[in-house]
Amino acid sequence: MSEYHADSQEFRYIGKPVKRNDGPEKVTGTAVYAGDIVLSGMLHARLLTSPYAHARILSIDTLAAEALPGVRAVITGEHGSVKVGIYMQDKSVIATDTVRYQGEIVAAVAADTVEIAREAVSLIKVEYEPLEVLNDVREAVKPDALLLHPHLGTYAHSVGVFFPEPGSNIANHTRIRRGNMEEGFKQADLILENTFEQNQVLHVPLETHVTLVQWGVDDQIKIWSSGQSPFSVRDLFSIAFEIPRANIEVNIPFVGGGFGGKAGIHLEPLVALLSKAAGGRPVKLTPTREEECQTLPCRQGQVARIKTGCTKDGRIVAEQVEILWDAGAYADYGVNIGRASATSACGPYHIPNICVDAKTVYTNHLYGTAYRGFGHPEVFFAVERQRDLMAKELGMDPTEFRLKNLLYPGDETITGELITENTGSPDTCLKRAIELVGADVAYTEAEKAQMAASGKLRGKAAAVLQKAPAMPTWSASSALVQMNEDGSVRISVSGVDYGQGTYTILRQIAAERLKMPIEDVYINKSVITPLSPYDWQTVASRMTSICGMAVMEACDDLIKQIREIGGVALRASHHEVEFDNGEVYVRQNPHYRIAFGKIAMGYVYENGNAIGGPLIGRGKAIAQGLSNLDEHTGQGKAALDWTYGAHAVEIEVELATGDIEVLQMATVIDAGRVMNEQLLHGQIVGGALQGLGCTFSEVLLHDDQGRLLTRNFTDYKIPTFKDMPRTVYTDVVETPQLDGPYGARGAGEHPLISVTATVANALANATGVEFHDLPLSAWRVWTKLQEQKQQEQQQQESQE
Amino acid sequence: MPAYLHPTTLAEAFEGLSQGEETRYLAGGTDLIVLLREGVIAPAALMDVKALPELQGITTTEDALEIGAAVSCGQLIASEHVGYGCTLLKQAASTLANPLLRNRATLIGNLCNASPGADMAPASLVLRGVLTTATPGGGRTIELKDFFTGVKRHVLEPNELVTKISFPLTKGRGIYLKKRRIHGHDLAQVGVAGFHDTDGSFRLALGAVATTPLLLDDFGTLSTTELANRREEIVSEAVGAARPISDVRASREYRLAMVRLFTERIVDAFANETEVQR
Repeated sequence: MSEYHADSQEFRYIGKPVKRNDGPEKVTGTAVYAGDIVLSGMLHARLLTSPYAHARILSIDTLAAEALPGVRAVITGEHGSVKVGIYMQDKSVIATDTVRYQGEIVAAVAADTVEIAREAVSLIKVEYEPLEVLNDVREAVKPDALLLHPHLGTYAHSVGVFFPEPGSNIANHTRIRRGNMEEGFKQADLILENTFEQNQVLHVPLETHVTLVQWGVDDQIKIWSSGQSPFSVRDLFSIAFEIPRANIEVNIPFVGGGFGGKAGIHLEPLVALLSKAAGGRPVKLTPTREEECQTLPCRQGQVARIKTGCTKDGRIVAEQVEILWDAGAYADYGVNIGRASATSACGPYHIPNICVDAKTVYTNHLYGTAYRGFGHPEVFFAVERQRDLMAKELGMDPTEFRLKNLLYPGDETITGELITENTGSPDTCLKRAIELVGADVAYTEAEKAQMAASGKLRGKAAAVLQKAPAMPTWSASSALVQMNEDGSVRISVSGVDYGQGTYTILRQIAAERLKMPIEDVYINKSVITPLSPYDWQTVASRMTSICGMAVMEACDDLIKQIREIGGVALRASHHEVEFDNGEVYVRQNPHYRIAFGKIAMGYVYENGNAIGGPLIGRGKAIAQGLSNLDEHTGQGKAALDWTYGAHAVEIEVELATGDIEVLQMATVIDAGRVMNEQLLHGQIVGGALQGLGCTFSEVLLHDDQGRLLTRNFTDYKIPTFKDMPRTVYTDVVETPQLDGPYGARGAGEHPLISVTATVANALANATGVEFHDLPLSAWRVWTKLQEQKQQEQQQQESQE
Repeated sequence: MPAYLHPTTLAEAFEGLSQGEETRYLAGGTDLIVLLREGVIAPAALMDVKALPELQGITTTEDALEIGAAVSCGQLIASEHVGYGCTLLKQAASTLANPLLRNRATLIGNLCNASPGADMAPASLVLRGVLTTATPGGGRTIELKDFFTGVKRHVLEPNELVTKISFPLTKGRGIYLKKRRIHGHDLAQVGVAGFHDTDGSFRLALGAVATTPLLLDDFGTLSTTELANRREEIVSEAVGAARPISDVRASREYRLAMVRLFTERIVDAFANETEVQR
């Protein structure tokens, strides 16, 4: 056991590469995931999903399925019409009269075995009347477009936060208005307008949304789920079924990845209804990979139009942004992505005149939900491409253009938040990333000649990024730090560590605060709602910052009790009591010490008298100061903290094939304070690679009937280690966040943001080919290069 | 659920075939299990042929390399018997799926699946592979060039079992170039294999650009100089033979361009006796 030396250095655990505490279970395969749990009498569920992207359900015949021996429950929209959701309750548990995307659940079966359930599903007969399909957000916002949700006006939602437009396909319209657009564009010497498009993308967690539910007697509900949000599941379940929260127990064991796709509530209500229909027997649903791809939600698509006005000397004076989010069939979580994207729609730039319209639009595609970056990876593809294109128009170096327009202390964001010295430093991140890859160093003539000869052109580029946690103003965390009999402590939180390393960082915070060896700091690795303290959700890169603050407060509460009982034991006043290394002592007499273990459950005098009792520290934290945004202007406090960052890359494009190799990539994040170098490095590399996946190969494609073409790993290609850049640099800037634990702010989502734009900018610099959409797959790049070649030939011919 | 049969002799295997009910042979299973899972096939029985003695091992006879139907791509890659010109098989096998799948997937299974884009097909075609089959009545040999008849279709009779493939021993040089979407496991968008034999004969085979893998073997014998001189002609023939489609993996135009590019690169490498540009 290593000892804590209070005065040996500034921090013992903060910023240090403390090892994850979940390694042994995961590496040996003994970690228990939802899929590993087997209950006595457990049934297995299978789903019947819609083959049509849009159709009316005329009839469902379940008689044959029900008659199959071993089938215990068959449910359809008749049983599952209740709407469940977090922000916009537009989705029923099972499709009722209409299916709105291919893959939507139409019926579900619970049976003794998976095989029986599957056979029963094949016996269900559904009669559909196919309907016209909305395949494009631009069609969907036209005034005469068919309405996918005619009852939009009746859907429950957070009033005053989201602004649906009933009678249209717009589930939410967030507006941001600042300054005067007419005046702004009048000041501009140059106006550039571009439209950028991105298709939907999948999360691809290693573990699918495995769900096990027992609807027990007296409406006692027990849920085991591969989820990110134990308390949101409980909350939303309670609201939908009008069952007291105390009746609902949500268990989250180890979770095999989420990337946002397991935030909020998903299959829990469906499986609960199956259990209820099966007389209260527990039912497990393990979605197949195909269901994970086609039935469970994805990242939204986006069409963004940006019009930017600039002065000759490169100052952005006005910007108009219209974002159409392809929410797909349902926009429950999507509306908040729309709202969040609006607050970040111009990037970390100071622009006096702003008009942003972010619309969350229904189509007949797979529905969208939270995804790492929460709309920012998409927005920043548009914004950071637009910055490079504008710089080109101006004939200005893109870095100089960015540095000129970035936010600096004293500036205000587009929602009117004041930037201070502590907000973070995008300019430092940008300069550092550029320095790491030498992105500002021009190629020599010899290098250019070599490139031309080899048919492989190199290009460099950089881009900035930002994100704040997007969450309700009241989103909160709490923590308990309980002392064990031996003086060690156990942290309980309801944040879920599904791979990001939260539990390790929370242990570091507690060990630092309590000045005790980290080996003596334990954390509960699973969440059980009746036992674990409340947490809103594990999303928005908010665990280190908000849950971390709750753990700090819990430690401080425990320290107060340590001093109090320690003082009694030491016969000193509490303010004279010091502690470290799991021991208390009187400040002026550090040689006489009492171990925490002696006071943990109460201090016992020699004659047997006892005082105190078990020591429990409690802490809480809330997103202090956030406000709802004004409906008309979008002004207000949108961000608890802004994490800034930047990427720089050097790529090599093979003209003959269109292949792009990333030679070097640097990612720099202003994390406020690095809590754990190793974990942050892992988050950055993982995020960057996920971003490269979105850049090169990850894309959902639909046919003209709205049917998914890329519905499994055969054609939905995620990168592997072989697709890593040749060299990856990660670095950090530390501008302390005043209300973050030890100055830290979130950094989990950020490395993914702007990767696409950075590579697309580098591609343009290398070849002159300007992409306004994704992915930059070899054949799309090659095709564009061919078009460019043809245009050049035509120009030459016309000149001749 | 299909019955699982696991014979240890050919006789036992053929006895196990029940009349009128479909039995599918199971080797690596990397294609079969996907088809079963998707409900594309629903045979009455799966017959695991991995224990049959006739299907085992990689051996070299006086004039041929023989690879049994139970040999996985991983074993093929690791085998010391696969040398000289036949190392082309190792090149191709190394691009197939990923190491985990290569440890299950077999060369012959890859051929019998008869996917137009099968990675082992172009290499096996230019190496002039000959399949040996077994049936309850005996068996036959089939030249691989006569084997494929359409997408996932071949000339095998129901219950005819491929036991091995033979390749004439050669010291010639082979190259397999594959275009894929990511560096990791992926199907071929285009695959081109080329072989230049010691006697000067030159053969090309194309994958993923027609309903079957295509062998182009009417170039005769060509010296390196002749290869260089006839480069355009060879390339035109390859491009002319390809009949690719446009789909989510690539456009028809891109596939044709890659056939052209890869053929050029292969011819150049043979003509100049240099490393192929990858």
